[in-house]
Formats: sequence, C-alpha cells, structure tokens
Amino acid sequence: MENRIPAYMFQASSAKQEATGIRKTNLTFLDKTILSSARAIKSIYLQAENAAKKDLVHNIHPHVKLFSLIYLAVIISIANRLNAQLLAASLILVFYMMARVRIYQVYRKIFLLAFLFGFLVVFPAALNVITPGKIILNLITLDGPRQFWIYHIPQHIGFTLEGFQVVSLIFLRVLNSISVAFLVIYTTSFPSFIKSFKIIGVPDTFLMIITLAYKFIYILSRTIEDTYFALKSRLLGNIRSSNLRKLVGGRVFFIFKRSMIIYENTYYAMVSRGYRGKVMLAEQNRFAHKDFMALLVIIASGIAIILI
Amino acid sequence: MHIPDGYLSPQTYIPLIGVFVATAAVAVRKVKNEVSARNIPYLGMAAAFAFIIMMFNLPVPGGTTGHAVGSAVIAILFGPWAATIAVSVALIIQALVFGDGGITAIGANCFNMAVFMPFVAYYLFKILSHNPAKKVRVYIAAFISGYIGLVFTALLTATELGIQPMIASTSDGKALYCPYDLSIAIPAMAIEHLLLFGIVEGIITALIVSYFLKNEPGIIYAFRKGGKNENQ
Repeated sequence: MENRIPAYMFQASSAKQEATGIRKTNLTFLDKTILSSARAIKSIYLQAENAAKKDLVHNIHPHVKLFSLIYLAVIISIANRLNAQLLAASLILVFYMMARVRIYQVYRKIFLLAFLFGFLVVFPAALNVITPGKIILNLITLDGPRQFWIYHIPQHIGFTLEGFQVVSLIFLRVLNSISVAFLVIYTTSFPSFIKSFKIIGVPDTFLMIITLAYKFIYILSRTIEDTYFALKSRLLGNIRSSNLRKLVGGRVFFIFKRSMIIYENTYYAMVSRGYRGKVMLAEQNRFAHKDFMALLVIIASGIAIILI
Repeated sequence: MHIPDGYLSPQTYIPLIGVFVATAAVAVRKVKNEVSARNIPYLGMAAAFAFIIMMFNLPVPGGTTGHAVGSAVIAILFGPWAATIAVSVALIIQALVFGDGGITAIGANCFNMAVFMPFVAYYLFKILSHNPAKKVRVYIAAFISGYIGLVFTALLTATELGIQPMIASTSDGKALYCPYDLSIAIPAMAIEHLLLFGIVEGIITALIVSYFLKNEPGIIYAFRKGGKNENQ
C-alpha cells in the first residue's frame, strides 16, 4: 500500500533547527541595559524592603545610619593614606558581617563598580607621564624626550611606585564609599532612610518627592519589563536602525504617558487622604541605647581611620 | 559624567554642595508657585521619568552604546526649575541606591547635571526654536540643545576634576584626588562628548521632543504660553 504521509512528517524535529530558523530581533543592546536596570531596581527595592528585621544593623535608627553615611563618606574622602583606607575597608566588612546581608553578592557588585569607576579611569595615572616618580616597570624607551603641543613625553615610559600609590588610594576610596552607601541601603527601608534627611535640614517637600520618585521608579521598571516582553513577542527579524530609534522614542513616550496616569492616580489618592498641598512627614521612633552605642562605634571608627 | 567619591577634594565638593542646596531651595519655591498642590506627585513623576530616560541606551558607531543624561529633554518638557528638582532627585537615588556617582560628589553632580545643563539646554532650545509649527527647526533645536548642553556640562565637569592636582596634592606633587590636570581632563572629556556622547544626547533629545511634538505638543513646557505649568 502506498505511503501517503508527507516526507517531512518523518523527519525528526530539532529544537536547534527551529531556533536557528527564526531570525533574532536586533534588540540586544536594549534587552541587556533596560532589562538589567529594571531587574536591578526591583531587586534592590525588594531587598531593602524585606531586609532581615532581627539583625543588629537593620534595627539601628535611620538618623544614625544617615549620620554614619555622611560621616564615613567624609572621613573616607579626607583619609589620604593607604593604611587608613585599608582599615576603613576592614571595618566596613565587619559591619557587613554584622548586618547579615549576602556578602558575596553585594561585594561582587561593589567590586564591579569600584573597578569601573575607581580603577579603569585612574589606571593610566600609574604611568610616569601622569605621576612622575621612580619607574618600577619600564614599558617603552624612546630615542629621547619629546614635546608634543603642551605635553612633555619623557624618554622612558613606565609605571611608577608613586603612580601605583595614587591609583590604589583612589580605588580604595571609591570601593569604601560604595560599600558604605550599599551597607546603609541594603539594611534600611528607603522611605524611612529618606525621612531621616530632615535632621540635616532637607525640607519635607523635597523628601516627599524623593520617596514618591523612588516608588514610581519601581512601578515604571515593571512597566518597562512588561513593555519589553510585549514588544519582543510581536517582532520578527532584524529591524532597521531608523525604526529602532522610533521604537526607543515611542517607548519613552509610552512610559511618560504611564507616568502621567500613575501621577494622576497618586494625586487623587493623596487628596482622598486629606492632602491639601502641605507635607508633614510622620515622626520617627526615639533613639534607643543601641542607637547611641552604634553612634559611638561609628565615631570611634572614623577617628581610628583618620589617626592611623 | 557622574563623578564618583574620591575624585573631588573637600575644597571643591563643599562649595558645590552649598551652591546646589541654594539653587534647589529656589527651584522648590519656584515650582511650588507654578504647579500648585499637585507639585509633589508631579515632580516625583518627573524625577522617575528622568531616572528612566537615563536607562535608555542607543547604539553608537564602534559597536558600543551610550545613554543620555536626559537633563535637556526634561528641561524642555517640564521647564528648567522642575528639571533641577527632577534630575537632582534622580541623581540622588542613583548615588544612594546604585552607587552611580559619589555621596560626597552629590553636590557637584547635581550642580553639573541638574542645574547647569538644564538651564543651558532649555534657553538654547528657546532661542533656536521659535515656532512649534516649524517641526524640522524644532528637531534641530532639540538636537543642538542636547548636544551643546552635554558638551558644556562635560567641560564643566572636566574643569572641576582638572583643578584637583593644583589644589590638593602632597608636598612632593603626588595627587590626592583626581590625578589628571586640566591639560588631560579637558581634552579627554571634550573629545568623547563632542564625538560620541553629545551626539547620543542630541539624538535622544530630538527623538523624544519630536515624539511629543507629534502626539501631545501641549505637554512641552518650552512651548507653553509664558512657560508656566498652570495646567498641572
């Protein structure tokens, strides 16, 4: 009996074949940046809101945390010796351990940022062209010193000891500053932390704007993710750059419209709860003994960093 | 463009914090007068929008991408005073939550990107685009205001960084903060912003303004009668 089943029905289906048969849309740069940013916002938002309530660092009064952030940031910025920065890095690590946050994940992020902002940018300063000094690793030897416009190029170009000291100092300073900021953010609810800015004279209006913006950003990051998936599911094949630019413009406009709707809803919700244009933030809890202890530890740490 | 901690000496960041705080106080008062009781959620929305704009990257020649600062487009859409608040709030959240920009450098970053850039871009746009009906002229004005606004801001940032070796170094000449003097900081910042990031900022500003002009021209602050936000 003649077989009437089409030949392609006998061919084994291959997931790989299907995958390669569909042309990928050229949205990779948007995918990576927007999705990763949206997810980063969500993860930080959730981590801060759900931070372990029972650990020591989380329970410290937000006023103390704000003071600690500003105080340590200033101390780190004026500490000009490497051993002072190393001591600061060690103390911050101890605080992280006490805070019981996921140290590996947080430090991976901190080191990445410190590498980008504190190492890559300043690394050329290790060369004698930028920081004169004793060359410890010679890279290039020219026929003689040269003058190019306003730049003097020495005969020997290489890394200097003084240059490495400058790079190390700036790298550690950036690392420590980011670590302190993340420690506070990862162990404090953002709105209650922002409220504590009152003690340094920031008006309630401004604080309310920051708190609302933070919440809006979280909501909009979800919108961005949803829009991304909706868009991705409707696109096939590579799209032209001109269309891609229109797409970006359209998405920004869409987000603006969504922002307007959220803003309108928020405004009416505020009015329904008695808002008449004046902002009065709720008072925060009083200081406890542990807050005074934390304050003393922070002040002592700062003095130790400066005196070492 | 975001200056991290460790690059600016206290002699630089303390005065810049002072200038920013004074300007922000004026901005809050000005915007309060203009937008009535709705100002707080409105500015919260503008700040979130400013933050989100900074997330959008565009492909640039050479296989890399660049993102806009967004101050120019925010100033054109919301006005320069509202942009001062919105962009500074976005920058404060970025510094605190994402480690993008330093804590001690918040004043400098806010002064550069939330005060200087919106005003330069806004008034440049106002001068160059007289009539919203002439769309091509508006697009060009938006591009130029974004481009020039960013390039000038980059030069200001480079100057702040470039003076560090002069005002804060050890007795043997070793830099304590940004190690690059003006002869390095200015060309480095100028070249990358003239050839790359300025173009990205200009394109993004023109794209967003063109989209708003086509779909909801009434929203654009720069084209409103007297530049007031009465309808907010």
